[in-house]
Amino acid sequence: MALPLPAFVAKRRVDWDALQALLGRQRAGALKLEELRTLDTLYRRAASDLAHTQTFYPGTDAHRFLNQLCGQAYAAIYQPPRERWPAVRAFFKHDFPATLRRELRFVGASAALFCLGLLLGALVVLWEPRGAELLVPAGVRQYVAHGRMWTDDILSVAPPNSVASGIATNNLTVTIVTFALGLLGGLGTVYMLVNNGVHIGAIGALCAREGMTRGFLDFIAAHGPVELSIIVIAGAAGLMVGQALIDPGELPRGQALTLRGREAVKLVLGCAPFLALIGVVEGYVSPGSLFPTWVKAGLGLALGALFWGYLLRAGRTEAGATGLEPEVSAS
Amino acid sequence: MSTAPSPHLDVATPERVALTLPVAGIGYRCLAWLVDASLLFFFWIVAYFVFTLLVSDVLGVLQALSGLGQTLLVVGLFATQWLYWTVGEVFFHGQTVGKRVLGIRVVRMDGSPVGLFESAVRNLCRAVDFLPMLYAAGCISMLLTRQHRRLGDLLAGTLLVREERIDLDKYTAVSRPQAVPAAPTTTRALTPTEVELVLAFLTRAPGFTPDVRRRMGQTLVDRVGGLSGEQRAEVLATPERTEAFLRARVEA
Repeated sequence: MALPLPAFVAKRRVDWDALQALLGRQRAGALKLEELRTLDTLYRRAASDLAHTQTFYPGTDAHRFLNQLCGQAYAAIYQPPRERWPAVRAFFKHDFPATLRRELRFVGASAALFCLGLLLGALVVLWEPRGAELLVPAGVRQYVAHGRMWTDDILSVAPPNSVASGIATNNLTVTIVTFALGLLGGLGTVYMLVNNGVHIGAIGALCAREGMTRGFLDFIAAHGPVELSIIVIAGAAGLMVGQALIDPGELPRGQALTLRGREAVKLVLGCAPFLALIGVVEGYVSPGSLFPTWVKAGLGLALGALFWGYLLRAGRTEAGATGLEPEVSAS
Repeated sequence: MSTAPSPHLDVATPERVALTLPVAGIGYRCLAWLVDASLLFFFWIVAYFVFTLLVSDVLGVLQALSGLGQTLLVVGLFATQWLYWTVGEVFFHGQTVGKRVLGIRVVRMDGSPVGLFESAVRNLCRAVDFLPMLYAAGCISMLLTRQHRRLGDLLAGTLLVREERIDLDKYTAVSRPQAVPAAPTTTRALTPTEVELVLAFLTRAPGFTPDVRRRMGQTLVDRVGGLSGEQRAEVLATPERTEAFLRARVEA
């Protein structure tokens, strides 16, 4: 028969206290190699003590204590490698573009949905002008009615850097929500994609009706290609999540969701820096007439081409991966 | 004192030991969120006052910087919405300030600490969990899932576990050297449950009213003692003697 519980605790407690102290110091990040070895030994001892309490003293506080202690030590010892800068670089060099290429089906579906919305919005407004009252915000309609771009006044109200950061956050919100709504079985993402498409299509068509196609294109040319691509990619991530929910395949739903969620969020995180960048373009370059239209269009096309070139080519070969860095050319 | 019915996380370690960690329920999570939210709220109050103080400064130098101020505002807003939680969870062992106060932490489904991806996912999903207001979707999800996970947790494969403060001193508290009544010679060993029961009584006994203290002591002595009538009367004479006997009995 085992020792009585108090005797057992008294006998083993020294080790547990030592382990606890070491864990505290490990959290502060001040452990020497020697102490790490001790930590390992102590953890193994505590684990065997835990097994002992499970057998002889189940449901006691000593059991709960050891459970927790071993849990903490386990977490400390089997930590995932810390993500540091090399990992970030590797992510943008290989992981993100590779994931995107792997999930190109979803990007396609997402783009199709977005274009569907675009088409719907444009057709509605072109066929039935009053549809614009439903689809285009009142402020924008007023501007267009006066024959002016609503974007012309952005810069006169606020300095460009705050416009840029405002736009970046706004885009970020749209991107995040588009992705996250995938949790509603993908329906939320579909809604966001179509809805955004409809709005942009409607505004474009309204401008066309009022003979302002030039102004509209002028505004959208510089940032449109990359920004809309990013929304489409976020939509693809949302659709992945939705697919995992609806059709988890051979895995249980929870596991499929976790697995796909990790992949999906790579797409969203990967887009984040480009989103911030394009926010700068949208804030500084797009509004007003600081730059002639052909510069804007050229910049937009170049950025779009670079972005997709990077996505489709970077990290293709493991050895000589020289991913294009669109940041350099854009800033 | 059994932990069986409450939700828990089972972890099989490579050492072939099964860990059972208690899962944090909706109450803990709401409180932790409240702590975090009020912290961020006070941050914004302070930031607001500092900022207005700076902007209305006499020198007027900062007027020119108001654009920068707006940028900072937007960036700060984003940081409080998302960065605060992720940074806390990734760099401070799965705990934001609120979680630390409440003694809960985020872990993966296998008990290991969260990484950047998991944390990013579960915090990006706050936007959905918050729908339509005040984490209604998240709360419903927590009520419906066995381990109280919100939608973001489901997607990221994480959950929150609780850390209890357990005092081991009660096992090793020294018994007073007072005349311990002769422990009965033929005794059966106590079960761990009885040991816990007696120890719980001993730690709490000084706080009881004398009447309750005496009555419970007597019940326990009857249960674990196995004493003859004369010894029993002697043990039950004073509460101190009763408790000294019980402690000796437990530590035997």
